[in-house]
Amino acid sequence: MAVITISRQFGSGGEIIAQLVSQKLDYLLINKASISEKLQKYGITEPEFTLFDEKKIILDTHDNVDELETHYHRYLEALHEFFFDLAIRENLVILGRAGQILFKDFPPALHIKIVAPLKNRLKRVQKLYNLDEAAAARLISEQDRDRQEYLRYVFGYSWYDLDLYHLVINTGIMGLEESSILIMEASRLKSTTDNVSVEDFDEQLIHDNLQVSPILDAAGKPPAFAHPSEEKFAKMLDFYQIKWLYEPKTFPLQWDSEGNITEAFSPDFYLPDQDLFVELTTQKQKLVWKKNKKIRRLKELNPDVNIKIIYGRDYRGLLQKYGIEEKDDTQESGDSSQESE
Amino acid sequence: MIVKKEEERSLEIVITEEEINKKVVQLGYLISQDYAQAKELVIIAVLRGSVYFAVDLSRQLTIPFTLDFIGISSYGTSSDPLGIVRITKDLDTNIAQKNVLLIEDIVDTGLTLNYLLKNLRTRNPLSLRVCTFLDMPGRRIAAVPVDYRGFEMSDMFVVGYGLDYNERYRNLKVIAVLK
Repeated sequence: MAVITISRQFGSGGEIIAQLVSQKLDYLLINKASISEKLQKYGITEPEFTLFDEKKIILDTHDNVDELETHYHRYLEALHEFFFDLAIRENLVILGRAGQILFKDFPPALHIKIVAPLKNRLKRVQKLYNLDEAAAARLISEQDRDRQEYLRYVFGYSWYDLDLYHLVINTGIMGLEESSILIMEASRLKSTTDNVSVEDFDEQLIHDNLQVSPILDAAGKPPAFAHPSEEKFAKMLDFYQIKWLYEPKTFPLQWDSEGNITEAFSPDFYLPDQDLFVELTTQKQKLVWKKNKKIRRLKELNPDVNIKIIYGRDYRGLLQKYGIEEKDDTQESGDSSQESE
Repeated sequence: MIVKKEEERSLEIVITEEEINKKVVQLGYLISQDYAQAKELVIIAVLRGSVYFAVDLSRQLTIPFTLDFIGISSYGTSSDPLGIVRITKDLDTNIAQKNVLLIEDIVDTGLTLNYLLKNLRTRNPLSLRVCTFLDMPGRRIAAVPVDYRGFEMSDMFVVGYGLDYNERYRNLKVIAVLK
């Protein structure tokens, strides 16, 4: 059956648009209220739903971590099962809840993102919730953060990934009514051009494709790696579920007489759970001294900072352990004394 | 670019069979002493490398124990679309409220062990300790506890006594550096 997923920035009017579309098309609207009621059939109670809905749960901050983790995963499984069950039988408008990712590879699905400039969202939220501007800004910030972290934590997707959507609508320059009409028209066009029926849809394919996530750091940002070896290293950390940040901190090393920084160093990675900075260097061994000098200086100035250098030979040793041998990126020979840059 | 080399490589022995046997006897004695009063010891060998060590070590134990195995996918060889580590062979034993001794062939980066310990801790063992045949702390990325170690080594690529290179050399009775 048809599925329209609507993702929205908090305060952008996405909820109203979803209601308008569902009423006009006579599609079932899946929003907070309808999910809460229906999930009970899947063994999820109201308190669990309120706790988990569209949020990343930071397990470490809870006393009963294991129990909570089990419930959280049960909640996610139930939610996803509920969506897939419904999509087989009903035409749906799904508001939020990562519908755009769950139904990413569901051919009949249309994915919409509703955005609006902050000033418009502030106005709307102030009016809707009777808040002053500061309180509205806080609420917007909290809600946006929850949704971003939910997408990243549960699915490994960035909120900013526009590849997920057929259509992005800015309600700062388009009214809610017009937006709903635009979505209905897009849906009509899509249904006339798609020939794939739900019977052709392989549910397993959704689950498989869900897993192919882009590389994001622990803050959910796609890093701009300076060298392919860094990307490989990040993938390895991801594989073993080690959180990392790419070049999150720059350490000043030298200052001129006026106090301006003249030399600084940014280690490649920071592993928050290990409290460890990692510098990956694949430079020729004879060129590494400069970097070693910087790291020595960094440690002199910051004796409490833990930093590990992985040299070219260590890195290749690491890859060798996993049955991978890195081809020399500099086209240099296979001579073991030659380090790839 | 990933290139798997299959050509013959030369080996240089760094730990002899005699040294290995002696160390295994010592570790067996130490572990038997430490767990003498403990009830329900479960020894978990991490597939596949630690099997040789686990078998030899377990034969030196003078205390009762249950032997179990756990396997996890390895980075580089896994074609798992998840792109994350997963358990390929889970325990057959419920380890809740039991004393667990995890047997590793080698702890270097600590990435595998870090994942395993996190996973096993969620099953509420009474205690959880690690015994590794080789320890390479110089390669460590994830800080992991090692309670018993056979040999501490500097950073080198070694094979034998369960450690392989592309599935070869596991059955060597010595530890050797692959040249």
